[in-house]
Amino acid sequence: MTTLAAPTLRQVIGGFCVLAQKTAQTKLTYRLATLITLLASGFAYCVFLLVWNEVYRQNPHAGPLSREQMLGYLVIAFLVNALLILNVESRFLQRVRMGLVAVDLVRPLGFVFVQLAQATGDLLVNAIYAVPIYVVGLAFAGSALYPASWLAAVLGGVSVALAFLIGFGVSYLIVQASFVLQSGYGVLFARAALHQVFSGLSAPLVMFPAPLRRVAVWLPFRHEIETPVRLWLGQATLAEAPRLLLEQAAWGMGLVLTGELVFRAVMHRHQIQGG
Amino acid sequence: MAGTMVPAILAENLGKTYTRRKRKSGFWPGLRAYFSTESERFAAVTDLSFRVERGESVGLIGENGAGKSTTVKMLTGILVPSEGRIETLGVVPWRERRRLAQNMGVVFGQKPQILWDIPARESFRLLKVMYAIPDDVFRFTYDEAVERLELAEFIDTPVRLLSLGQRMRCDLAASLLHAPAVAFLDEPTIGLDVLVKERVREHLIEMRRRFGTTIVLTTHDLKDISATCERLLVLDRGRLLYDGSRQGFEERFAHGRTLLVDLGSEADAATRGALERDLADDDVTFTWDTPHRLRVECARSASAPKVTASVLEHLHVADLAVQGAELDAIVTRLYRTAKAPA
Ligand SMILES: Nc1ncnc2c1ncn2[C@@H]1O[C@H](COP(=O)(O)OP(=O)(O)O)[C@@H](O)[C@H]1O
Ligand SMILES: [Mg+2]
Repeated sequence: MTTLAAPTLRQVIGGFCVLAQKTAQTKLTYRLATLITLLASGFAYCVFLLVWNEVYRQNPHAGPLSREQMLGYLVIAFLVNALLILNVESRFLQRVRMGLVAVDLVRPLGFVFVQLAQATGDLLVNAIYAVPIYVVGLAFAGSALYPASWLAAVLGGVSVALAFLIGFGVSYLIVQASFVLQSGYGVLFARAALHQVFSGLSAPLVMFPAPLRRVAVWLPFRHEIETPVRLWLGQATLAEAPRLLLEQAAWGMGLVLTGELVFRAVMHRHQIQGG
Repeated sequence: MAGTMVPAILAENLGKTYTRRKRKSGFWPGLRAYFSTESERFAAVTDLSFRVERGESVGLIGENGAGKSTTVKMLTGILVPSEGRIETLGVVPWRERRRLAQNMGVVFGQKPQILWDIPARESFRLLKVMYAIPDDVFRFTYDEAVERLELAEFIDTPVRLLSLGQRMRCDLAASLLHAPAVAFLDEPTIGLDVLVKERVREHLIEMRRRFGTTIVLTTHDLKDISATCERLLVLDRGRLLYDGSRQGFEERFAHGRTLLVDLGSEADAATRGALERDLADDDVTFTWDTPHRLRVECARSASAPKVTASVLEHLHVADLAVQGAELDAIVTRLYRTAKAPA
């Protein structure tokens, strides 16, 4: 009886890194498209910042945060969002439609790692674009963008990594939904809407009406943006930090594991299209 | 059992039934169908049993929609069968997808396997790491592919800029770089011109010679099969119509030959009668397509040389051709027979 050699851990890690790197390279091919998206959303965001600026000029006590805190929060939130925009679903939905998923399924990395590696590639490229965003933000908010302390910077960094995992987990679940529905654009738009509202991208949750805030607390989205931003800026106390990071880790792992379970169930039913 | 080689493929009563949502045309029926859960079931593969030993090369043939791709998808772990048992390299494909992937190469002729936006060379490097291909193996498979399939010219061009034929060659090379124990090639010669097809066949033969690769090949072009496969699996509407050697297939289904005769001058009734009397004891049928053109179908028992000699003796022959021993002709006839109501 010959046993079939399984892929080694070293191989999986190596494959993961090279795939991430090649995906980044691929994404850079479309740098013009990315740049245009970034400029357009950046412009909208600047207008948004100007409006808040005006609100605080008219009423310095417009909310629980000071003007500096508010602008600092909004710029960093935009930055984190730009960093974590992953192409997981759009790339994937396209592959589902063309029946290319078949190819991802016969890789020794395993399906989830193929997707995660590609998302990591997106992250690498996004990091390049994050630098100019930060520099432009400095013009608006100046020192309000600095991390509260070295420790806050580290906590914020860890938190961004966990936010990446959460974002990936949500995407991965959407990917499963698209298997079932054969087209996942509906789910995709639903996610975008939920993310827009509940992540804290447009305003920190303390500014939300109480009922919305209560809903937001039970959803993973706020950990994608609000949590890392507050940790970086020191708006979350150090005492809160361990709990926040743990919650993030739990959401991230929980979502990816759930996605993996759903994936197994779905594989029994789904059908690959074409040829 | 210790020492027994696990077969490359084992399929027992394999079946796949697709469920598809009923679609209706027209706006209102379409809308109603959209909200209903009514679905129809379609058996794409039924009761398929076969066994492929290590190192064999098998041609999986069948008309469009016969279930070839569905079978390949089950064998590679992409689809879970609805019925039956299946093992590839000794594992249940969909359950141990990763382990199988490490030892398996796949080409779906209609789907690009390698990264679209970067040159093939970089995808090959990626695969070297992803499959942990040893240097000596990689050196051989890479060089063999680049030379045999003549990739050098476009290996540094982003794949999306390549022609279908060029991309197919890259895909094929990519699928065999890790010298897999088994390779599933679903229409790997799609879009290739005759010369390149020849190269592809040579590449497959060379990989088999060097690594003992088991090959399962589906194709429309039966010449691919003649050149590379010793064994045939013929599918017809999801069922196995034939499983056996290519030679046995030809012997069993080759109905004999057809003599195509063009006449220089019209044959009168007396001449025709004399010819038919002369060959009355042989198993032949005469068909006059036009007064100038005769088709003589010779069964296997009939002697083609004798029939030919007789034709030349009685008729004023302008041109003569013998056809029908080629695989294409046999398969075409087989499908026609299978379709005809019994
Ligand atoms: N995902 C699917 N859903 C429903 N029917 C399918 C699906 N995939 C294939 N079929 C049907 O199953 C049959 C076999 O398809 P396939 O295996 O692709 O045939 P082949 O590769 O031999 O041309 C065809 O009639 C096709 O329409
Ligand atoms: Mg097919």
